[in-house]
Amino acid sequence: MLITDTIEFLKGIPPFQFLEEGALGELASGATLEFYPKGTMILKQDGQPSDYLRVIKKGGVKVYIQPEQGEEIIIDYRSEGDSFGLLSMVGQDRSRANVTAIEDTICYLFERRTIQRLIDTNPHFTEYFFKTFLTKYIDKTYKEMRDRSLLYGGGEKLLFTTPVGEIANPDVVTASQDITIREAASLMSGRRISCLVLVDAEGAPVGIVTDRDLRDKVVAKGRDVDSPIRRIMSVSLIRTDVRDYCFEALLKMVRYNIHHMLVVDEGKLRGIITNHDLMMIQGTSPISVAKEIEAQQTIDGLVGASQKINRIVGLLLKEGAKAGNITRIISEINDRMLKKILWLAERTFGQPPVPYCWIVMGSEGRKEQTFKTDQDNALIYDDPATPEEEGLATEYFANFSVFMRDALVQCGFPLCPGNYMASNPSWRQPLSVWKEYFSNWIKTPTTDAILFSAILFDFRPIHGDITLAERLRAYLTQLASNEDMFLRNLAEMAVKLRPPLGFFRTFVVEKSGEHKDALNLKYKCIAPMVDIARLYSLAAGVSEVGTLDRIAALKRLPGAMAEHGDDLEQAFEFLSLLRIHHQYDQIEAGLEPDNFINPDKLSNLEKKTFKEVCQLISRIQDSLVKQYFPGTTL
Amino acid sequence: MTLAMEIFRGRRRQKGARRVPSKALEDSLDTLKDSYDLLGLLIEDARFVIFDTELTGLKLRKDSIVSIGAVKMVGGRIHLGDYFYRLVRPETALTGRSVLIHEITPEEVSTCPDIETLLPEFIEYCRDSVLVGHFVSVDLGFVNKELKRLYNRTLQSPAIDTQRIYRWLAQQRENGCAYHEGRIEELDLTSLAGRYRIPVGRAHNALDDAYMTAQLFQRFLAELPGAGIRTVADLIRIGRL
Repeated sequence: MLITDTIEFLKGIPPFQFLEEGALGELASGATLEFYPKGTMILKQDGQPSDYLRVIKKGGVKVYIQPEQGEEIIIDYRSEGDSFGLLSMVGQDRSRANVTAIEDTICYLFERRTIQRLIDTNPHFTEYFFKTFLTKYIDKTYKEMRDRSLLYGGGEKLLFTTPVGEIANPDVVTASQDITIREAASLMSGRRISCLVLVDAEGAPVGIVTDRDLRDKVVAKGRDVDSPIRRIMSVSLIRTDVRDYCFEALLKMVRYNIHHMLVVDEGKLRGIITNHDLMMIQGTSPISVAKEIEAQQTIDGLVGASQKINRIVGLLLKEGAKAGNITRIISEINDRMLKKILWLAERTFGQPPVPYCWIVMGSEGRKEQTFKTDQDNALIYDDPATPEEEGLATEYFANFSVFMRDALVQCGFPLCPGNYMASNPSWRQPLSVWKEYFSNWIKTPTTDAILFSAILFDFRPIHGDITLAERLRAYLTQLASNEDMFLRNLAEMAVKLRPPLGFFRTFVVEKSGEHKDALNLKYKCIAPMVDIARLYSLAAGVSEVGTLDRIAALKRLPGAMAEHGDDLEQAFEFLSLLRIHHQYDQIEAGLEPDNFINPDKLSNLEKKTFKEVCQLISRIQDSLVKQYFPGTTL
Repeated sequence: MTLAMEIFRGRRRQKGARRVPSKALEDSLDTLKDSYDLLGLLIEDARFVIFDTELTGLKLRKDSIVSIGAVKMVGGRIHLGDYFYRLVRPETALTGRSVLIHEITPEEVSTCPDIETLLPEFIEYCRDSVLVGHFVSVDLGFVNKELKRLYNRTLQSPAIDTQRIYRWLAQQRENGCAYHEGRIEELDLTSLAGRYRIPVGRAHNALDDAYMTAQLFQRFLAELPGAGIRTVADLIRIGRL
C-alpha cells in the first residue's frame, strides 16, 4: 500500500508520469510523507535551502513573496499533484518564496539526490520541471514586482514614449578617419563592435563604418585593406537628436535603409543607436502604427498598417499592460483607421448633402474590442429639410456606407453576421428616425427590441457631426431611466446567462480534470457583466458607454455599484485580460481567436480568481432577481 | 546455522524449552529496554515504529500472531520505503472467524517462517525507536508473550497508544473539561481515520493498519506542540499504556 499507492499517485502527475516503473519504484521507496496543518509555513523566503522536492498529495499551498516593503505578492497556488521547492533544492540556494499551507496538507518528500539523478538522466522530466518552475517564477514574480514598482509605472511606459537619448548606447568607439581599413577592422573585432565612428582632427564625427560596409565594400569588391578607411565610410551621416522619440529615429533608419545611427546633442556625439535597440518598437509600437495610418492615402496602404495591430497587442501583453489599457489602445488605433477610411470615403464621394455622424456600437462602442472584431456601425444624419435633400441624402449615404463596408472588410474587419452595419438601410437614418427606434424599443420591449437595444444603445460617435450622436444619447438617457417594463426585460437578459459556479468547485480539494468542457468566457462571464453595467447605467441615467466607465460613474451613486463597483472593475479587468491572452496565444499559433477557455490551462492562481469572479457575478445577478423579479427564482 | 543446530533447535522448541537469545537480538532488546534514554529527545528528532499485528484471535493464552506490519517515522515524517511486513506461521490454529477478519488463510501462512524466526527481525527493526500503536497493549501483549515464551524476556520500552493520545487531545480541545465518559465515541482505527479523512486501506491488514495509525499519529504530532507536548517524555506521559 505504501509504495504502490505512491507509485499510482506519481503515475498520474507530470513530470513523474514520464518515468519508467522502475524509476517510480525507486522514487517511492525513498519518499517520506509529511503533514502540515493549515497555516503552517513550510518554506520560508530567504530561509535554508530546501532539501526536498515536495509534491502535494492532498491539500493546497500558497507560494508568495514578501517584499521588504508593501503587500505580499502571490506567485501561485499549488494543489494536489503540484510540487514546490525545486529551484531552491537543485540550486541549494535560499528559498525564493514563502510557502504556506492554505488547508491541511500532506506532501510527499523526495530527496535531493534522487531528484537530481532524475534531472541528470531524464530529459523529459527536466524540461517539464524547469519550464514550469522557472517561467512561473521569472515571468510572474518579476513582472508583478515590476508592475508595482514606481520605476516602471505599471507597465504603461512604453518604449515609444522614450527619447532616443535614453536608450542610445553612450559608449561609442571612435577612431581617426585616417586609419586603414585593416586597422579599423581589427579595432572592431578587438572591441567586439559592429560599427565604428570616424572622427576628424577636432574629434567631430565625420563618418561611420559598419560590418556591412566591410562586407559589401571591401571583401566583395576585393579592395586593398591597407587603403584608408575614409574611402569606404558612410559620410552622409544620418543623425538623430537625443530628444527625438525612438519612433522618429526608426523612421529615419527605415527611410535611409541604415542600421546604425549617431545620436547627437547640438552637433556633439552622444551615443549610437542600432536597429536592434529599436527592435522592440519596429512596427509594433502603437504610435508608429498610428503614424503609419495617418500617412496613408489609399485603402491598400491602410491594409498593411492594419495587419500590425495584432502585433501591438502582443507587445503590450509582454510589457504587462492592463487589459483596460490594451483595449483602449486597440480602440484608439481602430478609430484612427476608421477615421482615415471615412476621410477617404468623403474624398471619393464629396461633401455630404447633410451633416452626418458615423457611430460604432457593441464592443466597439464600449471600446472593449480585443482583436479585430466584426464591423458594428451605423450612421445618423441630420433630418433633411426638403424632399429633394432627403433624396440626395438617401443616395449619398447608401453609396458612402457600401464603400465603408467594403473598405473595412479589406482592412480586416469582417462583415457583421447580424448585419449591424450602416450599409443596411435600417441602420443609416436621420436623427428623428433613430429617436423613434429607441423610443419604440423602450416602450414596446419585444425580444428583438431588447436585442437591438443591447447592441445599439452602446453607441459611440467616431467622426462627423458629433452633436448628432450627443443629442441621441441625451434623448436615450432621459427616456430609459423610468421605463420599468423595459428595465425588467434588460434585467432578465442580464441574469439569463449565469457564470459557471460549479465549474471550479473542485478547486484544490479535488482535481478538476474531469471537467473537460471548455467555458465560453464571453457568454458566460463577460456578457453578463456588460449587461449588468448597461442596465444599471440606463436605470440611473448614466450616459457612459464603456463597461469600466459605467462602473466608475455608478460607483459615485448610491446603490449596488457603490458596494460592488471596485470588485466588479477588477473582475472585468481580469476576465478581459484572460480573454486577450487566450486569443493572442491562438493567433500566435495560427488559429482563429475564440472565447473558449479550457480551465485546465489556467494556473491555480487564475482558477482561484476566476472562481471568485464567477461568485461575484452570481451574487449581483441574485440581487437583480430580487430587485426586478421579487418572489421568483430564476 | 548448521543443519544439526537447526534440528536441535526444532526439537527443543517442541519440548517448549526456552532459547538463549542471540547476541544481536540481545543488543536490539537492550536498545528497546534502554529506550528511556529516548525520553529527553524532542519529538521531531525521535524515531518511532508504528506497528500492528493480526492475530488468530484476541485471547492472549490461546491465540497467536499471524502477521506483523510496521512503519517507521522520524519526527512527523513517515518513511514510506522503510516498512516491515511479515506473515507468520502461527503457533496456534487459524480459526475460521479470524480468517474472515484479516483474510489470511491457513494455506497462505503454512509455508511462512514461524514467529521465532521473525521476532528477532522485528525487534531489530524497532531498534532505537519508540513503539506506537492503536490500542497497542493488545499487540504488545502478544509480542511479549512470544518473547517470554522463547527467551523469557519482555519489551521494557514504553509504548504509545494513539487512541490515548486522541482522547487526551480531545480533552484538551474541550478546554480542560473532564473527558465526557458518557459520550459514546468510536475509537477504533477506521473510525478515527475517517474523522481525519485518512484513506482507509485493506482493513485488518497489519501493514495498512500500521500505515493508517502512522498517519493518524502524524496528525496528532502536528497538534501537540500547541498543547505544550514537545519531548518524547511528554508524549509518553499522555499516551502511555
